[in-house]
Amino acid sequence: MTVIGWLQIALFIAIVGGLTRPLGGYLARIYTGQRTPLQPLLAPVETALYRLAGIKPQTEQSWYGYTISFLVFHAAGIIALYGLLRLQSVLPLNPQAMTAVPPDLALNTAVSFVTNTSWQSYGGETTLSYLSQMAGITVQSFLSAASGMAVAIALIRGFARRRVATIGNFWVDLTRGTLYVLLPICVVAPLLLMANGVPQTLSATAEVTTLDGGLQVIARGPVATQEAIKLLSGDGGGFFNANSAHPFENPTPLTNLAELVLIFALGAALTNCFGRMIGSERQGWILLCVMAILFGLGVAGLYSAESAANPALAAMNADQTLGLQQPGGNMEGKEVRFGIAGSALFAEVSTASSDGAVNSMHDSFLPLSGGILLANMMVDEVIVGAPGSGLYGMLLFCIIAVFLAGLMIGRTPEYVGNKIAASEVKMTILALICIPAATLGLTAIASVVEPGLAGLGNAGPHGYSEILYAYTSAAATNGSAFAGLSSNSPFYNLTLALAMFVGRFVVIVPVLAVAGSLAAQPVVPYSAGTLPTDRALFVWFLLGVIIIVGGLTYLPALALGPIIEGLQMWSGTLY
Amino acid sequence: MSDVIMLALVIGCFALAAAYASLCEHLLGPSAGKDASP
Repeated sequence: MTVIGWLQIALFIAIVGGLTRPLGGYLARIYTGQRTPLQPLLAPVETALYRLAGIKPQTEQSWYGYTISFLVFHAAGIIALYGLLRLQSVLPLNPQAMTAVPPDLALNTAVSFVTNTSWQSYGGETTLSYLSQMAGITVQSFLSAASGMAVAIALIRGFARRRVATIGNFWVDLTRGTLYVLLPICVVAPLLLMANGVPQTLSATAEVTTLDGGLQVIARGPVATQEAIKLLSGDGGGFFNANSAHPFENPTPLTNLAELVLIFALGAALTNCFGRMIGSERQGWILLCVMAILFGLGVAGLYSAESAANPALAAMNADQTLGLQQPGGNMEGKEVRFGIAGSALFAEVSTASSDGAVNSMHDSFLPLSGGILLANMMVDEVIVGAPGSGLYGMLLFCIIAVFLAGLMIGRTPEYVGNKIAASEVKMTILALICIPAATLGLTAIASVVEPGLAGLGNAGPHGYSEILYAYTSAAATNGSAFAGLSSNSPFYNLTLALAMFVGRFVVIVPVLAVAGSLAAQPVVPYSAGTLPTDRALFVWFLLGVIIIVGGLTYLPALALGPIIEGLQMWSGTLY
Repeated sequence: MSDVIMLALVIGCFALAAAYASLCEHLLGPSAGKDASP
């Protein structure tokens, strides 16, 4: 480990922390319908969109109406993207003459991007036309992020409102999130990326002659515009197969830092937006504090583990010491321009945030580092998370925390002036249980059936980790891949699509139900029996709940994969 | 044929999700407001 490495991590945390309050204030203004500096420019577009779609922006929806709108919109999105991928060979903007995407892969890809997962069983530069990349992948990155934020805002309204039957209008929240939040940032961010070398062109691949006279084909395309929303949306699906490890997606340490900030910015700001909308910014800071502690533990663990020497190489007397000629530690699968700190930080941010972009190959991390990456996703992506999903995941854990506190002291649990009744606890448990059920159930099936085992690149616990990682990533709507697993088969394409569907829709339905139930309640006055949720004690209590719930659920699976592999590596056995 | 099967899968899954939302609405109804503590 180096001082520069730690400074890099500290700089990232400082930038995200500094952005949280101003961006959170902006989000709160957007979703409460207040004026913003962009209003004169974008209000006519917003009004025109409502007229075109026949939406009455003043009309609010019940939680059920909001949910049905959400489901209908996403069903249409999957069908549209599926159709685009299947027909890309006869559509324009296809200079490389890409053929139609096979049905199972097209379904997987459509579900993947509509659910904000961006699991990719394909290489973008060898499979998709420019039209599919721009009108399919990029558009869904915008919409899936905006819809995730809409769900979080609906849940915030549930906490903030009293005795009302509505939680907002899905179509308005979707439109405002896209127009006022995502689009402006994605106009500016690609300029920074292009200035640092990220290409933006509709020209076909470049063919160059190498020094020894050979022919090299260099893939390129409209990368910068897709890159910005890929990171900001928490989507993470790269233009290239190598994702942010590719020099055309992430050419310099500066773009690496910018990409990291883009991934975390909205998720962190939403905690402040939550605090503002319920009338207590302190409550938002408490949530961000919990996220920051979990993040700090993860990044410290990853950086220190990857900086240590690989014991298998040490046994062969390989020099792994830090020096002027080499960064030391485990550099397998990492880009030299990012080094260990830049790779460990990116891996932590990517798996904590639900983004799933990668600038190094997670399969090449040491076993216990792989376990940290898995654990980040297994806590339901509450460590900042994707825009929206991180916040509503954390609020679900808050409900469980105050419920457990209520059990301890024998009082009705309350959170930010809302009584947490049996109905909210039932919905919360439904939302929290479906992800481990999908992850562990599908991992168990894939670990024993022939089509599941056929995709493995390694044997033993490492192979098991590859399967576990794939389903964990899909169900947590993360989308990062461990590599090593050949997942482009009908079995994996369909089962991973199922995991992504469950991880998004089966979670969001009860979340919106909780919002509707809370909004209908009267305010519960603060009393001597209320657990204070704006104090340090609640930070530790919430942390304990997250770690224990995650640990109890997934510890046996982690023991079978990265933990046993790590122990065996120390005794000289490799897989 | 494969396209029809894939689209039927999508529509079927969303129909199940809508039914799930109805189930949640049903679950919320009778127990709403009941005390969750022992």
